[in-house]
Amino acid sequence: MAPDTAYDELAADLATLGRALPRPAPGPQLTEAVMGRLADAPSPATAAPAPRLPRWVLDRVAHRRRQAVVVSAALLVGLLAAPPVRAQVADWFGFAGVIVRNDPTPERSEPSPPPTVRAATTLGEARSLVSFTPVVPAVLGAPDGVEVSGDRRVLSMSWTGTGDGTVRLDQFDGRVDYTFAKTSPDVLFTEVGSSSALWFEEPHEVAVLNADGTRRFETARLAGHTLIWEHGATAVRLEADVSLGRALEIARSVAAIP
Amino acid sequence: MRGGNRDAYAELVHRHAPMAMRTASLLGAGSDAEDVVQESFVKAYAALDRFRDGAAFRPWLLRIVANETSNLHRAAGRRADRERSAWRRTEPLLAAELDEPAAAALSNERRVELVSGLARLSEAHRQVVTCRYLLDLDEGETATVLGWPRGTVKSRLHRALRELSETLPASLTATARGHDAHATEVDHGA
Repeated sequence: MAPDTAYDELAADLATLGRALPRPAPGPQLTEAVMGRLADAPSPATAAPAPRLPRWVLDRVAHRRRQAVVVSAALLVGLLAAPPVRAQVADWFGFAGVIVRNDPTPERSEPSPPPTVRAATTLGEARSLVSFTPVVPAVLGAPDGVEVSGDRRVLSMSWTGTGDGTVRLDQFDGRVDYTFAKTSPDVLFTEVGSSSALWFEEPHEVAVLNADGTRRFETARLAGHTLIWEHGATAVRLEADVSLGRALEIARSVAAIP
Repeated sequence: MRGGNRDAYAELVHRHAPMAMRTASLLGAGSDAEDVVQESFVKAYAALDRFRDGAAFRPWLLRIVANETSNLHRAAGRRADRERSAWRRTEPLLAAELDEPAAAALSNERRVELVSGLARLSEAHRQVVTCRYLLDLDEGETATVLGWPRGTVKSRLHRALRELSETLPASLTATARGHDAHATEVDHGA
């Protein structure tokens, strides 16, 4: 058999043709249609046991969700009224920002540690990529992971193996909507500099929205201690297994990336 | 269905739908691509317990898409008729005018040659070229999607390329001409 390199040009042209072809887009209702049909399927009690997604699928989805934060630039924070309760976020808001809502659904669950960010870029590069003025908390030193979203609206960083365990910081071009939080008994209002800040002592659910508002995947992971505040025109979210005092200390040390 | 699984699966559907649509349409689903894809996702969910942990989801899903696509043509009768029926739906997609940037990368003449070359291939050869190059799957993924052993993918791919290059009018020259034409155009514009 002749080496395949004999057909390199042909193969390259075929690949070019493939890339150039129009891409048939799935209709906007495809996911809903599929999920609707699955919902109509016989319940596990009367039929075969419902298949469970393999662990890796869930992991991968969780990973993709983190990427989705990045592409969407819209964060939705669903908050539990009764601790510790798993929130079922029943509504969504199609703008970039942090929203807190009450949605008590009785199901106990443990929060997971904050997902780490991969070392995709450097702080300096990240600063030049995003359209806002990003910050970094001085007390934590240089992050182990820095990543900027595909649409350049979200910057995520994480620190691992610090005295504070894993710390994650997400910041994006957006605002914090404090109105819902005011009616939530489990959100503590505090301050970071001149900005109002929200402290989530109890586990709460963090969900991600598409910026276009067309889809939502309301169940994400259950987050632990989280502090959310605004720094200038940027919304900042700090997640770590630390006390409020330490979270504030970290938050107050933020400064523009040098 | 458990809530978490449902949302996770919705996410998978959302993520993989575009590639599933491409695969269905290039393998011959034509305007039925969306129906094929919807059906495939429903079947994939039901089959998740048979899915090997740690395997890649995409090729596994695309194999279901490929099977559903070929089911579309079952009614066409004999095998040769089924295959022609699939190609009749795919050819117009390949023959459609390309966008300007794409057209710059591949001359129109060359594209017409490639499509007519593909038309002359056997269905199996056309499928392997479609998966490997038009859909840009790797050999392993192609093997999974088409349900063939990897060695078969390799040998059929090789034979398909050889056959294509023999039926294309002086393919290397044509490619070179395409490149020259492009280069000249650029010079011209500069």
